[in-house]
Formats: sequence, C-alpha cells, structure tokens
Amino acid sequence: MDTSSPSVFVNGALLRRFVGQKVRTVIQVMGSDMGSVVGKSTDDLQIFVRGSPPPSLTTYLEVIGIADSENSIRAEVWTNFGDSFDALNYNELCKLANGEFKHLFI
Amino acid sequence: MYSNSQFEPNSAFSGGGFMSSQPSQAYETSSSTAKNRDFQGLVPVTVKQITESAQSGGEKSGIVINGVELTNVSLVGLVCDKDVSKVTEVRFSLDDGTGTIDCKRWVNESFDAREMESVRDGTYVRLNGHLKTFQGKKQLLVFSVRPIMDFNEVTFHYIECIHFYSQNSDSQFGQQVGDVTQSHTVSSQGVSNTNQATTLNPVMSSQNNDGNGRKNLDDMILDYLKQPVCAAREQGVHLDDIAQQLKVPKNKIEDVIRSLEADGQIYSTIDEYHFKHVEL
Repeated sequence: MDTSSPSVFVNGALLRRFVGQKVRTVIQVMGSDMGSVVGKSTDDLQIFVRGSPPPSLTTYLEVIGIADSENSIRAEVWTNFGDSFDALNYNELCKLANGEFKHLFI
Repeated sequence: MYSNSQFEPNSAFSGGGFMSSQPSQAYETSSSTAKNRDFQGLVPVTVKQITESAQSGGEKSGIVINGVELTNVSLVGLVCDKDVSKVTEVRFSLDDGTGTIDCKRWVNESFDAREMESVRDGTYVRLNGHLKTFQGKKQLLVFSVRPIMDFNEVTFHYIECIHFYSQNSDSQFGQQVGDVTQSHTVSSQGVSNTNQATTLNPVMSSQNNDGNGRKNLDDMILDYLKQPVCAAREQGVHLDDIAQQLKVPKNKIEDVIRSLEADGQIYSTIDEYHFKHVEL
C-alpha cells in the first residue's frame, strides 16, 4: 500500500495547477516524432508530451508523468487508449476528481 | 454497466472453485460474505479509499469504507512488479493513480495461469478481489484479472467509484435534488467553484436517470404523503398537488409515482391520480 505519489487526473486547464507533480491525462494525438507527441487535451487545449512514445499510436493516448509546465508533460508511462474513447466523459471525470470528490483520488 | 452485468455479485462469488481448493481462505471468505451477502456485492473503489479504510474489528473482520463493510472490491489500474517466481501464486502491484496495492492471485487451475499470462507489467486491467488484512497490511486476493480492451471502462470505473461513494454518504443526499437551483449561487463565488458547479450538473442529471436522484424523489414523495395532513385525507392526495408541493415537474413525478406504486409503497385511491402511502 502506497499512496505517496498519486498521479492526478487532469485536463488541459487543470494541468497548470500541478506543475512539478505527477499527473495523468488523455490526449488526442495531433502529431508525433521520436521524442515527443503533440496532442489536444480533452478540453481542447494543446499539450506537449516529451519522452519516448511507443512506435505506433492510436487516436487517443494516455500519458502518466511529471507536469513540466502548464502545457507540457514529461511522460513515463504511455498507454494507447484506442480510437473510440469518449473525451467528454474523461473531461468531466477530471473535474470531479479535482473538485467535490478530490478526497477519493488524492 | 460493465461490472454489474458481468459480475452478478452473489452468484459469482458465493462458491467459486478457487475457494474450495484453499481451505483456510475459504473459511474466512465464506464467514464474512455470509454476513454481508444481502448487503453488498462487488464494490468499485480506489486504492486511496482502501488505504483510508478502517478495520471494523480484529484481523478477520471486514474492512469498512465510507461506512460500508466490504469484502469484495473491483479496481482498475496498471499492473506493475509482476512476480511469477512461485508456482502456486502470482504477485503484483496495482497502480490506479491514487496509490498502489499488493495483489496476490492463486494459480490452481490452468485457467488461472492462462488469465495471468495475458497480464504483464504496464497492462491496464479490471481486477476483482477479496480485500484482506494480512500481517497488518491490506492486500487483495484476486480472483479475476482482465486486461481492459475498451478504455472507456477506465473512465467508467472512477465515475462508478464516485457514484457508489455518493450513494452511501448521507451528506451528499440533500445536495442532489436541489442541484439545478444551487448551481447559480455557487457559480458566482469564484473560478474554482465554477468548475465544481459545472462538473456537478451533467453527472447528477445522469444519475437521475439511473436511480440515484430518483431515490431522493421517492423519499420526498413518501415523506410528503406521510405527513399527518395528507395521511388524514381519506381520498389521498392528487398527483398535481404532490407536484406543486414538491415543486417538481409533473411528468417527473409521474414516473416515480408509478414505481412507488409498483413497489407497494403507495396506492391509488378514488381514481388513478390520487395516492396514499401504505402504512406499515
């Protein structure tokens, strides 16, 4: 049991609250090269993700890592979330997980 | 609902094959599930909730989360530190973003082995297990690990955790009915609160459809009908009056009334629009 380093659910707007901390988010991939991925957050903001992405990416990508700045993440864990992920639902979850029900998460 | 449809709690866990092959576990499991059988099946939780949970009694007692004694829980997260060095068990940690918890899966049948083979470090899984304290540490004895194929299940799981929490915490109850009217006052209080207000509404309104909000309306109608003034009226209370008194649209009331009637909690009197509550 260890809850010392949770990764907070964030969307684009919430990311800036957690600079320097561990976060998780889902982006819609816009473009990628060897060391980075550019994507659109679930609330339509641009997010830059650094690190080493997997060779093939689906439309939606979850990244877990440290928030570098208010619009970039240094990712440690990359998970393809497929092509039919509901971004709106995820966006609402991010808000709930940082709002009224924060204590269930962090 | 993924977990509800796939795991009918009582039938799925009341006597699985894995229990009979481990006598010591089987004894504890059956004694504690027997107590809670009517009560809760498989409960969606986050690791953080488990960490903060309390033990209701000694080591063999259930673990209490949010006032509810739990035995079987459902989690979603990433598998890490998978350890297959032992023949009869697979150990791993599950990281759900709120924390990590130690998990153990007994490998008795070839089915167990096959299921665990498809699970590697970094795999997102839906996991169902028995929550247990062993040597002062909480751990999960896992009886189902399934890689997640549709990642909407991840979102769904956390929403379900919130839903279960809301359903079982009294302080939340009053908030949900008056939610729509409250949001205006809340949103005028500043930026951080605006976020909360806007997030609340879509989820709450969806809950109204699947039972939670309606439960409150159930109670409101019942409470209203139980008032001495209403109970005294021989012909009961007209649907329109109930709607007017509770300030809820008539069409909304109608559905709830029908379900209350079907449940035998209220009955229609002189015609199908007048109702009284059933006195017990």
